Amino acid sequence: MSSSHEAAPSPDFLVEEVRRYHHFIVLALWLAVVTGAEIVLIYLPIPTAAILTILTLMSAGKFFAVILWFMHLIYDKRLLFWCFFAGLALAFATYTALLMLFSADRIDTRWFS
Amino acid sequence: MSDTAAAHEAPTSTGIDHKKLIMWLFLASDCMFFGTLISTHLLYRKLFPAGFTDAEGHQRFIQQLFSIELTSFSTFILLMSSFLMALAVSAMHKGQLKSFRRNVLGVIFFGLIFLGCQVYEFTHFYHQGLTIQNSVLGSTFYVLTGTHGTHVAIGVLWLILMYFYSFTGKLRGHMGALDVEVAGLYWHFVDIVWIIIFTAVYLVEYLGPYGIWGSGLPAAVK
Repeated sequence: MSSSHEAAPSPDFLVEEVRRYHHFIVLALWLAVVTGAEIVLIYLPIPTAAILTILTLMSAGKFFAVILWFMHLIYDKRLLFWCFFAGLALAFATYTALLMLFSADRIDTRWFS
Repeated sequence: MSDTAAAHEAPTSTGIDHKKLIMWLFLASDCMFFGTLISTHLLYRKLFPAGFTDAEGHQRFIQQLFSIELTSFSTFILLMSSFLMALAVSAMHKGQLKSFRRNVLGVIFFGLIFLGCQVYEFTHFYHQGLTIQNSVLGSTFYVLTGTHGTHVAIGVLWLILMYFYSFTGKLRGHMGALDVEVAGLYWHFVDIVWIIIFTAVYLVEYLGPYGIWGSGLPAAVK
């Protein structure tokens, strides 16, 4: 490895790291609060569909918060985001395709037993 | 991308360190792997909403086994371990080796607590009659959460090795920080998978008297 890679971090870089450090603390608190809210939510007397929608949004929020800040995607090159997003999109497409294929209304589950 | 990040651009054709790029590609493939496992669990929960039959022949529902307190505690522990991992990576970037070691020890400790909770949960479920063989629910549940637990165990092992490696004096500079960042990416991934599992496998079972899948139950079972 070249000597430039072993050099001490620049002052700008250190300032940036301190800024990120504060982001991490705020994010950790936010994640804890949202997780607590999720647990409270399942006991609230509101329609199941509404709870499910809010739970999905909260999970998605936590998911993207971690990959964007903790995993540095927001600071890194866009290519990394698209690499990961490709896998994520395929995973979601797999679920959607399976859901369509194995619709409970059209399948005889006695076949499995 | 920020100016600071641009100043640390790697001398590769993409401007991204190869180790980091490979790790992201691996995580993308692992995303598909977990996507398939989660999909399988959800689909089979939809097709077989009735839970399982224990050794005495009684019909049991998964809600009777789940402990929301334990699962919430595990989730909180894993989220905080992710926070400590982010601090460990930040410390390495700043060249603060002692701070890195302290934070990594915290991550290892939290990871071991999470694994302990999972072992307790599996043992409890097994003694309550839910095995990997006696129901579709048992098969998909143990395979999904067990695979995730294996990932956590690999992460803990990796971090323990990295902790001891830091005493050799070889974990330093840009390459040392990169190694820690790659390990951190893996650890955070384990965390985001659990975020999905927590909602899709655990929380949805508390919606309604028989969980989100209860509408598919025959009246005789209810």
